[in-house]
Amino acid sequence: MAEVQDTTWKMLLNDFENGLEKAIEELQKRDVENIPGAKEALIQRLNNMKLHFPKNNGDIFIKSINEKIQNAFFPNTTSFSEAFEKILKSRTHEQDFIINELLNGFVTSKAKAIALGTQGPIIDRMVEAFSKRNDFHIVDHQFFAMFGDPNKPRHYVKKQLEELVNMFGLVSKELLIEKDIRRSEEKVYTFYTFPSDIIKILEEKYLIIDADLGYAYVSEDFDRNVFICMFLANLAIHRDDIDKIGGSFTINGVSAIFALILLLSFMPKLSVDETNPILNDPTFKADNMSVIPKSWMIRQVLEPLFEPLIKIVAYRVGGGLWFSKIVDSEINKKIHNQIKFLLKDVNKWILGNLCRVEIPIFVEISNIFTEILVGYDEE
Amino acid sequence: MSYKKKSTRTIKHGRKREKWTDILPRYLTFITHMRPILRETRRIIINLDPDLLLDTEILDKIRQEEEKRNIRKVRALSEFSAMYRSNIYEIIKDFIIKYRDEIPIIDIKDYIIDFLHESVDALNVLRHITNPDELNLENTYLYQLVKFIEERIMSRGSNLKIIYEKLLENSPNLYECQRHILQSHTYYREKLESPDNFEIPVISPKVYQIINNITSLYNLDPNFGEFPEKENYEIPMILKNDVFLPYIDSIANAEEEAIEKMAERIGLRLIDGIFLAPQEDFVEILLDNNYLRENKQTDGTIRLLPQFSNETLITYYLAFASQRRGFLSKELVNWISMNFAFLIYMGILKWKLSDENIFYAIFKDLQTNEKILPYLMKLICFPNYLGVDKMKIRDSIQYRKEIFNFIGSQIDNLKEFINEIAVFCKKFESRKKK
Repeated sequence: MAEVQDTTWKMLLNDFENGLEKAIEELQKRDVENIPGAKEALIQRLNNMKLHFPKNNGDIFIKSINEKIQNAFFPNTTSFSEAFEKILKSRTHEQDFIINELLNGFVTSKAKAIALGTQGPIIDRMVEAFSKRNDFHIVDHQFFAMFGDPNKPRHYVKKQLEELVNMFGLVSKELLIEKDIRRSEEKVYTFYTFPSDIIKILEEKYLIIDADLGYAYVSEDFDRNVFICMFLANLAIHRDDIDKIGGSFTINGVSAIFALILLLSFMPKLSVDETNPILNDPTFKADNMSVIPKSWMIRQVLEPLFEPLIKIVAYRVGGGLWFSKIVDSEINKKIHNQIKFLLKDVNKWILGNLCRVEIPIFVEISNIFTEILVGYDEE
Repeated sequence: MSYKKKSTRTIKHGRKREKWTDILPRYLTFITHMRPILRETRRIIINLDPDLLLDTEILDKIRQEEEKRNIRKVRALSEFSAMYRSNIYEIIKDFIIKYRDEIPIIDIKDYIIDFLHESVDALNVLRHITNPDELNLENTYLYQLVKFIEERIMSRGSNLKIIYEKLLENSPNLYECQRHILQSHTYYREKLESPDNFEIPVISPKVYQIINNITSLYNLDPNFGEFPEKENYEIPMILKNDVFLPYIDSIANAEEEAIEKMAERIGLRLIDGIFLAPQEDFVEILLDNNYLRENKQTDGTIRLLPQFSNETLITYYLAFASQRRGFLSKELVNWISMNFAFLIYMGILKWKLSDENIFYAIFKDLQTNEKILPYLMKLICFPNYLGVDKMKIRDSIQYRKEIFNFIGSQIDNLKEFINEIAVFCKKFESRKKK
């Protein structure tokens, strides 16, 4: 079995090497850069990648994907709380954009999205419902009262609540009231809250427990992304159950976003001439942004790099099962093609230059590559 | 038998156009009920021996006594007052229980009085935010605050270029707010093309993505074609099909069909039915802001090379919406005016209440918000202020629930803006006093 895996892995590394070669060829033919030396820097970087990436059985990939990307956004564990804690810890203003994009998994097909467009706003309702009470519970009747529409049958809201409870893995408790104050009838209230190990994690930042008063209420930091982190954690621990996580569309989408993170991290920083207008642009922040060559984003260069890279990510994240879902169909090609337009709040266009915001995940991955390059130079 | 004469005509009543003098009293209704409750409570606490505060049952009794004095006839008002009063007392009780072992009770009393004082002050400003006859308009908080916010995120100007420049000037600090006011969460209620051709809808997540795609395609791989209005010049063009190529399952069909309208809102036009190119006026704006660069070709023609930023097209959308603010869609009117109302309300609270004020929670409660903000939204819409169609503000409670839910999901940039507004309020007050 190990041998079979090795063959696949070797084949994937080989494909990536071929992809790099093709990309370099395409780059030689075209020039879309407006910064002197940008094209050369990119060619040099791709050549370096070709040289170093296959070494030690693809060590750079293994470290970047297994240790960095998975730990931050898709922890490889069966424990829900562990996965949730790790994703929650990777939250920063910019990394929240990545987490948000991952919620959609991919954005070009509505039919099989993990969370449908209409569920997005409902997540905000959950936040609101939890913020309303001081016991960190929501009650079904409260939820219906807050969000139900008197002109529509209640089962809509009921169904929405059920879906969300399942999606986030909330736990429920029932309270039986023998005589309801209004109708003197028996009534059952269902309370929902987070599992206790999740509550412990939230206590650090998102949940304030006041022992004196016996209250538990959410802090200002408690927002929709807490739910999205839970959602991702749920996906991560059920990665082997393809139907549960939304099928091959999710797999293609998630793998493609991770591949984009890898590519962005590996791109070289460019030094810009001091007269370049970008330096005077008020949206460019020299301390946390760097200009990267934009030519890697043209279709002819990106395609040969992206396809093998998505497969590499899928194989590392979900093994043979995920890998088998990355087929070169027309639809998948389209999904992959549009991924380059994602993460636009993290890699911005400023006066026609592509700028990467140096968020932790990019820095960590590019450090792995730099370490290996430096080690190689020393040898 | 009724002798009342029945009408023989069935008239479909349209909505009545509400006047300033209709809305202002409604805005003031709840505020004028909140303030006395806080003042009464303050008076009671001041007169109370600090040691009595230690026994929370005494506070309960006082509250019960106070409730008995309730003589208001309107049910909604008496219910609101009871709810408001009980919230205040609960918060005071919790504060005492929490700190009675750590802080001397006399200090706790002082804190409570201070917090109540701040709250009354905040309500005072909210109560005098404007005046019934709009006398001396420029000297009112409402006018000044609307203009302060408008200048930064929905500027006015005699032409689109001026508006664009003003917005761009503020975008380094407030771009996320500028973008936010175009992206209502209720986008799913909108149509891209309405029977009223002039109507400007909100930017849905998909449209936002398409605008990003267009920006990337311009920067990466533009074609060039003759500038129809200027000889010897070439403008950048991208293929419409390239923009929609990544979309599967026909999910961007509606956007593709409405591309001409969408393009107009971001300063572009469709040439020969296949190319997207900047409009003549926009070319001038783009050149002025370094988003286009002139490059002389060997054959003597001047080619305009695109170098767009993320905000290049979005800012145009905002400038376009700002210039044609009379034609904003219902969703956009509700969303923008709600954000303005929210910013003004929160700015005043930030200015008057200290961060540790225990009553902040009541002010931020949706139950309080929905009593004040809907009327503030309408006041903001009047011509002297934001000047959008207030008839489009929905009165449905259900709808308010829907849009107010998103107030909770405020973005960091909005918080920064609220701080800026609070500083402005302080400055304006001192200017007023002089």
